[in-house]
Amino acid sequence: MNLYQPYLMRVDEIIDETVDTRTLKLAFKDPAVAESFTFKAGQFGEYSVFGAGECTFCVASSPTRKGYIECSFKKVGRVTSAMRDVDVGATMGFRGPYGNSFPLDKMEGKSVVFIAGGIGLAPVRCVIWNVLDLRDRFKDVTIVYGARTVGDLVYKRELAQWAARKDVKLWQTVDPGGETPDWKGEIGFVPTIVGKAAPSPKDAYAIVCGPPVMIKFTLPVLAKLGFSDETIYTTLENRMKCGVGKCGRCNIGPVYVCKDGPVFTAAEIKKLPQEF
Amino acid sequence: MTRKAFITESDVRALAADLIAAGTRVVAPGRVGTPLGERIEYRVANKVDEILLGQDEPARSLKDFFLPPTDVILAWQEKKDQVELTPVSSTFAPQVIIGAKPCDAAALEIVDKVMDWDYHDELWFGRRAATTIITLACEGGDRSCFCTAVGLEPSGTRGSDVLLTPAAGGYSAEILTDKGEKLVAAHAVRFGADKGADEARAFAEKGRKRVDANLGLKPAEVRKWLAGHFDDAFWKSIALACHGCGACASVCPTCHCFDIVDECEGLGCGVRRRNWDTCQTAKFTMHGSGHNPRADQSSRMRQRVMHKFCIYPERFGEILCTGCGRCARVCPGGMDILEVVSKVNEMACGGAK
Repeated sequence: MNLYQPYLMRVDEIIDETVDTRTLKLAFKDPAVAESFTFKAGQFGEYSVFGAGECTFCVASSPTRKGYIECSFKKVGRVTSAMRDVDVGATMGFRGPYGNSFPLDKMEGKSVVFIAGGIGLAPVRCVIWNVLDLRDRFKDVTIVYGARTVGDLVYKRELAQWAARKDVKLWQTVDPGGETPDWKGEIGFVPTIVGKAAPSPKDAYAIVCGPPVMIKFTLPVLAKLGFSDETIYTTLENRMKCGVGKCGRCNIGPVYVCKDGPVFTAAEIKKLPQEF
Repeated sequence: MTRKAFITESDVRALAADLIAAGTRVVAPGRVGTPLGERIEYRVANKVDEILLGQDEPARSLKDFFLPPTDVILAWQEKKDQVELTPVSSTFAPQVIIGAKPCDAAALEIVDKVMDWDYHDELWFGRRAATTIITLACEGGDRSCFCTAVGLEPSGTRGSDVLLTPAAGGYSAEILTDKGEKLVAAHAVRFGADKGADEARAFAEKGRKRVDANLGLKPAEVRKWLAGHFDDAFWKSIALACHGCGACASVCPTCHCFDIVDECEGLGCGVRRRNWDTCQTAKFTMHGSGHNPRADQSSRMRQRVMHKFCIYPERFGEILCTGCGRCARVCPGGMDILEVVSKVNEMACGGAK
């Protein structure tokens, strides 16, 4: 037995989010592990299909929902292709949880602004449900979510749930040209819509995840609204293998993303060499 | 706890013979045939006369015996709708390394730091625990050696259980650890009373002087310069000679980066392996999307130098380099780490040598 030995997981549910993005709901096969397993919002793990290999994803479900984990992924390579081929009931592997987490304790009593683009909603969705499951501990909750087209929006069923809630302000948007005739949301890039939503920086934290270009143009908008770099959190998505600080792959400048991250403040990111 | 003894050349061989006869795996420098002739490598000695002591540095380091180039980390087998995992053992049969170079023994202790960083790597430490290392003091190597520039010594004791230093008629033996003591006690008949200490000191001094002449560094200054010159044009210029082949990392005693891959070994069964990998190849950091944070060779060269002389020292308090000189000897582009770090040192110390 060694630290690279995964837990065995059973695929309980498969949800197609978009044409190329899928969510797997995985349950621990060992009831004792299912009982004892805990993690924090923002942590990640190494998911595996035996014979194809391991792949790194955040845990996309909330730590408040026990006994299972979810991951959302896009089919791009060997492992994600194999993950697309698994059926309900199949066995997969999971090692984790690894890395640091979003500082939920610091955010208690404050407002939280969630900003996500495309499949970047996966790590954010974990925190959204974590916050919504403990809703009375937080002030305003604002979500700005965008994708290239209406077809690229993930977690559509949950977007509908958030839209219906009175205690959540949800802004949905698609890039210009990505709308459908019956699209009722915004049309525009995420940074523009963040400016339009204009969440108050007072007693507030922002969590931003998405394509690097989206993050790049969202940070100045948040700065203009008055958010300091210390109150803006994001995740780095460097390639990883071991997840435990040994294999050297995710090292950028002084940090190992797997051990010191994946969650960083905008202030921390700005100090790093541009290798992400 | 250290104590000294003496062992003759023939008793070293007799000790190796005793160990081999008892079924203990003995690793020692020996000749290996290649299409281009012979070279010296650390290898499992099946017979005593295969062992070569006091020769040139083996072409590859001791890393292979602790982090093998490929290592099974688990086996899996499909059973109906289940998958069964067979864990690999992290307990290993005892092995004794005879004639390790001091730089190679020190490398193990340096890599221990990352292998024990919050998560304990059982496979690395299982092999570490099973291994007793008898190091042979080095007379100072060749022009590519620079151990003294990175804080080590050609007669250094780091990472060794027993250090042998040549003296008239044999070796002055310094017994450094409990493991060393255990080995010596089990073979007490091979060891005599301490003698030759003065000769050993002179040998060490001579070796140190010889290596010192190759390169002088101010590690703290180098570190500071590296931390502040990420975008320096220097990186672009030195990378022009780099093929990105990773030979440097392969022979490096401290490069420890690895990949984890699955291999099918039949229908519904296979193994997960960890294989050596290196930051010098393009795919090392490439994302699934095709985006590569280190897209050119200069950024990869820089990463290797930075990791060794800035990042690892900041994180673990150790330079991730033993000055063994292997990377300089194997580079097909003729890159020389001595040249690179001495230039950095020069820039760090304001142009002064």
